[in-house]
Amino acid sequence: MNPPPPPRSLVAELTYRCPLGCLYCSNPVELAKSRAELSTADWSRAFAQAAALGVMQLHLTGGEPLLRDDLTELAAAARACDLYINLITSGAGLNEARLDALRAAGLDHVQLSLQDAGEAGADYVAGVRTHRRKIATARMIARLKIPLTLNFVVHRLNLDRVGAMIDLAAELGARRVELASAQFHGWALLNRAHLMPAREQNDRAEEIVRAAAERLRGVIEVVFVRNDYLAGRPKPCMGGWGRGTIVIDPAGRAMPCQAAASIRGLEFPDVRSATLEEIWRDSPVFNAFRGYDWMKEPCRSCPERERDFGGCRCQAFALAGDATATDPACALSPHHRTVLAARTESPASSEPIYRAAEGGRAAFSRQ
Amino acid sequence: MDAAAMERRGMNSDAGGAWRPRLAAGVRIRVDPADGRERLLFPEAALELNETAAAIIRLCDGRRALAEIVRELAGQFGDATALARETEEFLAAMRERRLVE
Repeated sequence: MNPPPPPRSLVAELTYRCPLGCLYCSNPVELAKSRAELSTADWSRAFAQAAALGVMQLHLTGGEPLLRDDLTELAAAARACDLYINLITSGAGLNEARLDALRAAGLDHVQLSLQDAGEAGADYVAGVRTHRRKIATARMIARLKIPLTLNFVVHRLNLDRVGAMIDLAAELGARRVELASAQFHGWALLNRAHLMPAREQNDRAEEIVRAAAERLRGVIEVVFVRNDYLAGRPKPCMGGWGRGTIVIDPAGRAMPCQAAASIRGLEFPDVRSATLEEIWRDSPVFNAFRGYDWMKEPCRSCPERERDFGGCRCQAFALAGDATATDPACALSPHHRTVLAARTESPASSEPIYRAAEGGRAAFSRQ
Repeated sequence: MDAAAMERRGMNSDAGGAWRPRLAAGVRIRVDPADGRERLLFPEAALELNETAAAIIRLCDGRRALAEIVRELAGQFGDATALARETEEFLAAMRERRLVE
């Protein structure tokens, strides 16, 4: 096999700890198993290896990356190898002194999550009182002239307010706003029946987003990520398995995507015992779904395979029980009926399940 | 639309003439060690720049006006009229994406 083209981005999941309990969180449901975290030196070495391999973009995420006391040090290490540094955060724990230090260390951009346009809806989804503080944090980021993207994960509980979300993002001085349909992995899969929008609700929201994107062209970039259960087409997950991205989880396991550990039977190399180059080029897990030879029908002979790569491997495993199957989000999948059924399923319980944060639900200041 | 929004869209009266383009905050240009080509880095992507585009971007320092950028490049990249049009179109598109301001 030819050596694969180089990876372009590294997703560093610095910790799974998070003070929020968002219903749509795509972190693994079994968080307790992964309490160990890489050291500052381990991460710094991984950044240098990634840069040497061709990575240009670094996404510092979690969990909540600000819970790492060494975050500024990590940013400096990344900048030393000229990586573009994007901090993906809930903002919890960010103050002006820390943001200033991060910027001085080389932080390029912040992506701040908001859960809704208004406080009541947002705090319900997060499971903690956090919205007001986030708004103040967004203003602080804008005041320090650090480029800001606001990310709203959208679903049945908030899709009716996409217009207000976009207006809020423009008012807060964001350069970009993402309205990303909940992807049903991790906690979001547990809460799917609570989060799945009706087709009409989704289409109405998409229309509002389209109009707002046009109206605000040149002022703020507006992006909508579609719900693949409703689209009838699978998402080109990660731009293809092992094609451009390396994810490293808090414990140091290298993976082709953030949900890959949900696929049973895969073994993930540890960045402390192999170099990223060896992992990228030679590890069985990164080669597992590269190219097209692993595909089954209908993907194998489908012209779309070069665009969507058969969709999401984790979703194929979760819904079809087979990671080499066509993503059931595809209307051509023999398992597509599970997706059709999920569009109209009713919740098994009236209460959604909050992501267990450190210390579990009891640690939250619930409303 | 308020005045600030109009200005961001380049709708002020001297949009072409007095505009001194510069990279927006959070946008960087660097050489990609993998292939030696120049790329524009911003939060969502790394945009590959051809030789002309990279030369234009390198001159977007907030001091040079659009016309000066074109003048400096005319020697390197041939036909001045076509270059002026291409530069203006390229930078307008970059501004719309908020990569240049």
